[in-house]
Amino acid sequence: MLNELVYNLAVMLDDMQWSTMLHESYYMYNWVESTHVLGLMVSLGVLFLIDLRMLGYAYVDVPASKLAARLNTPMLIGFVLMFITGILLFYAVPVRSSQSVWFRIKMVLLVACAINAYLFHKRMNESVSSWDTEPRAPSQLRNGAMISLVFWSIIVMCGRFIAYDWFDCSRGQGEFISFVAGCVDGQTRF
Amino acid sequence: MTTFFEDNKRTVITVAILLLTLAFGYSDLRLTIYQSILPFFEWSETTPFGYIGKTWGPVFALVQAFHLVGLAVLGGCVLAADGRLLGLVLTDVPAQLVVDRAHRVFVWALVVLLATGVFMACGVATKIYYLPVYWFKMLSLGAGMLFHFYIRKPLLTHDVASINPVVLRMVAIASILVWFMVAATGRWIGFSG
Repeated sequence: MLNELVYNLAVMLDDMQWSTMLHESYYMYNWVESTHVLGLMVSLGVLFLIDLRMLGYAYVDVPASKLAARLNTPMLIGFVLMFITGILLFYAVPVRSSQSVWFRIKMVLLVACAINAYLFHKRMNESVSSWDTEPRAPSQLRNGAMISLVFWSIIVMCGRFIAYDWFDCSRGQGEFISFVAGCVDGQTRF
Repeated sequence: MTTFFEDNKRTVITVAILLLTLAFGYSDLRLTIYQSILPFFEWSETTPFGYIGKTWGPVFALVQAFHLVGLAVLGGCVLAADGRLLGLVLTDVPAQLVVDRAHRVFVWALVVLLATGVFMACGVATKIYYLPVYWFKMLSLGAGMLFHFYIRKPLLTHDVASINPVVLRMVAIASILVWFMVAATGRWIGFSG
């Protein structure tokens, strides 16, 4: 039921002229994808630096709260860039993307990362005065940083895997993959 | 003359390298060397890396993902350090400290990028050999590494406060541009061929 709804919505997007134009445009599509990668360089690069600081592997002699606060703006700019280009990339290939196992895992992990980031900031703001200049953050925050590093790395991996057709609905998948990918009675489009 | 060379050693060598590269780019030698290295690229595909890269798609894709993670970390270091030199981020932390700490992580990120990059190149060696964008990427990478280790790093070992702010800004902008060029040309390899 839900998969059919997602499929119909994706088909509706796919039928739009702008979606086809974006998909068919060699330069535009590639520029959007390149910008997505450059946005990743900005946002994840800065985020990973903050995570590494919490784990005690980078900038250990810079107060953690200062590093996190000062790098927040470039990180958010990168995320906005990545978010906008990500939506455009989905819009260009909506049916195949919405039926991709990797895309679905990526979306779930993005939500998990957002929750983790919220909890991380909350805990950091509550306790930072007691460990700000310590080389390593308390274990609870280190766990949060580690989760962030691992989840975001898997998100990057899933993003890369979307390009491959191993689990595409059009290839006739088994029950489990069909369930996870949300294949609708063999209906699919590129 | 000797004093001039000693005072401007790095500038003279850098200009000489640029001129040599330019001369090389417009000479017949470029074509001769280009043709003579084809066997090396063909051989690369027969190595274990080349074999794995060509036949194990998921491994190749996984290495690509690590390459992207390395690129992200490298981008973060460049932005933090050069953003500080431009006076955009971490302005209340000493520039020397920001640049020095970023450099340590930068080196590790570069090692990951080079290691995964070599693996990936082996898997598609004969394809990339014919792609102009691959050579643009190699040129950008070479320029980036030369710039980072030979110009930027030695310059920033001096007290940052004593360096002309215009020079600092130019170095920061050049650094950001060259590394983003490496990333963009790298992504474009995937669209070509």
